[in-house]
Amino acid sequence: MASISATFVGFGASVNLSVRTDNQIIGKSSSLVSFGLPRTGGFPSIRTSRLQICAAKPETLEKVSAIVRKQLALTPETELTPQTKFTELGADSLDTVEIVMGLEEEFDISVEEENSEIITTIQEAADLIDKLVEKKA
Amino acid sequence: MALKISFLPYKIPSFPGSQDRSHRVSMASTLRSPPTENIKKPFTPPREVHVQVTHSMPPEKREIFDSLHNWAEENILIHLKPVEKCWQPTDFLPDPASDGFHDQVEELRERCREIPDEYFVVLVGDMITEEALPTYQTMINTLDGVRDETGASLTPWAIWNRAWTAEENRHGDLLNKYLYLSGRVDMRQIEKTIQYLIGSGMDPRTENNPYLGFIYTSFQERATFVSHGNTARHAKTHGDSKLAQICGTIAADEKRHETAYTKIVEKLFETDPDGTVLSLADMMRKKISMPAHLMYDGVDDNLFEHFSAVAQRLGVYTAKDYADILEFLVGRWEVEKLTGLSGEGNKAQDYVCGLPARIRRLEERAHARAKEVAPVPCSWIFGREIKI
Repeated sequence: MASISATFVGFGASVNLSVRTDNQIIGKSSSLVSFGLPRTGGFPSIRTSRLQICAAKPETLEKVSAIVRKQLALTPETELTPQTKFTELGADSLDTVEIVMGLEEEFDISVEEENSEIITTIQEAADLIDKLVEKKA
Repeated sequence: MALKISFLPYKIPSFPGSQDRSHRVSMASTLRSPPTENIKKPFTPPREVHVQVTHSMPPEKREIFDSLHNWAEENILIHLKPVEKCWQPTDFLPDPASDGFHDQVEELRERCREIPDEYFVVLVGDMITEEALPTYQTMINTLDGVRDETGASLTPWAIWNRAWTAEENRHGDLLNKYLYLSGRVDMRQIEKTIQYLIGSGMDPRTENNPYLGFIYTSFQERATFVSHGNTARHAKTHGDSKLAQICGTIAADEKRHETAYTKIVEKLFETDPDGTVLSLADMMRKKISMPAHLMYDGVDDNLFEHFSAVAQRLGVYTAKDYADILEFLVGRWEVEKLTGLSGEGNKAQDYVCGLPARIRRLEERAHARAKEVAPVPCSWIFGREIKI
C-alpha cells in the first residue's frame, strides 16, 4: 500500500515527496523554486518567466537539455520539454547547482548567484545563457 | 569572505531564496498543518520551516533494537567512562577554595587578553551549542526503540542516553565558567542566546527513526571532535595552553562518543544493510543541519549564518570538514562494499559514495567566487565587529 504525501511551502522552499511502501521509505526530496504542484499536475504555474523577452536559440536549448540529461542520468525515453522543471525530473539543490556549473563550463560564462537561483527549467537556462553569451560578444 | 552558496552544509537545510528570514517565516505560514502567525514580528527567533515528519521507521524494526540489548551492553556501554575516572570542570579552572584563587583568575584573564575577538566568537558559539544539551537529550529520547521510557529505564540504550548526556553536561559547564571568568565576552547576551536556543529546540529530521538518529549523531560527534580540536590548536597558537587543554579534553570526549555511535550504525549496516544505506542517503539529501542553527541573541537575525561564516573563515569548521566527515563515515561503514542491495539501495549507495567529491567541487567554486562582505557587530563581544 503506497501513500504519497506532498507538501508545499511556497516559493523557495523544499518539497518532500515521499512514497511509503510496506517496509521502506523511498524519500525524494527536491529543492523547489516555484509554486504549483510538481508532477501530479493540476494547478497552473503562477510564476511567470522573467525571461520571456528573449527567445533562446534552438542549439542552446539542445545543449542545455543534454547537460540536464547527463546531470540527472535520465533515460532516453524521459520526455524533456523546455518548460519541464528540473525538480520534476528529480533534481535536488545540489543537482541544480551542478547543472549551472555544467552550463558555465559548456558556454564559458559565469552565472551570478542571484541568476542561478531563478533557473528552474531548460527554457530559463537557455534564455539566460543566450543573454550572457551575447553580452560577452 | 562569506560563502553565499545556498548549499552550505551548516546553513539551515538550504534552498534558493532562503536567506531572507522574513521570507522563511512567511513560508511557514503557508503550511497547512500547524498554524503559525502570518506576519513576522521583528526580533523573533527563527523557526524550522520544513514540515516535521514523525515515526518514519516501520514499527516492526523496533524489534531490532530490542534484540540488540546484550550487544549494546557489551559493545556500546564500554565506551562510557566511569564517573570516578572522569575529569570535572573544576580540574581546569581556578580553585575558589584555595588562597591562590585571585592570582589564578588574574592569570586566566592575562592569557585571554591575547586572544582575538573572532576566536572568542567561535568559542562562544561552540559553548552555546554545548549548553543547549537539553535539546539533544530530548532528541535522542524521541527515537523509537531506544528511548528512555521513564527517565530511569534500565535498557542499555536508556543507560547510554543518560550517561552520554551526563558526560556532555560537563562541556557546557566548563566552557561557561571559563568564558565567565575571562571577562572577554558579554555573558548576559550569551545567556540570553542560550535561553532562546533551548526554547527553539531543533529538528534534525530524524523522524523518531533511530537509523536516522544514530547516523546524525555519528556525524555530529565527529563534527564536534574536529571543531574542538581546531579551537584547541588555535588557543595554543594564541598562547593560552590552558584553554587549549580544555578544548582538547572536550574533543577527546567527542571522539569517544563518535566511536560508540559509529559502532551502532556499523551494526545496523550488518543487520539491515538496505535500510541503513537508504537512511544514510536520506540524511545526506536532507543535509546534516547543525544543532544550533536556530540560535538567536535578540539582535542579529542572521546570527547562525554569521557564526558559521567566522568558523569557516578561521578554519574551525568548514564545508571541507563536512565533506571530509562524510567521506570518513562512508569509509568507516564500508558503504562501497555493500552487496545484495535493492534497486533503491544501490542508488542510495552510489549517491552517498559520490557525494563527498561533489561537495568539495561545490565548495571550491563557492570559495573562488566568495565576495568581501562588510564586518558585522556581534552582541557576544559587546557589539564589536567581526569580519565574516
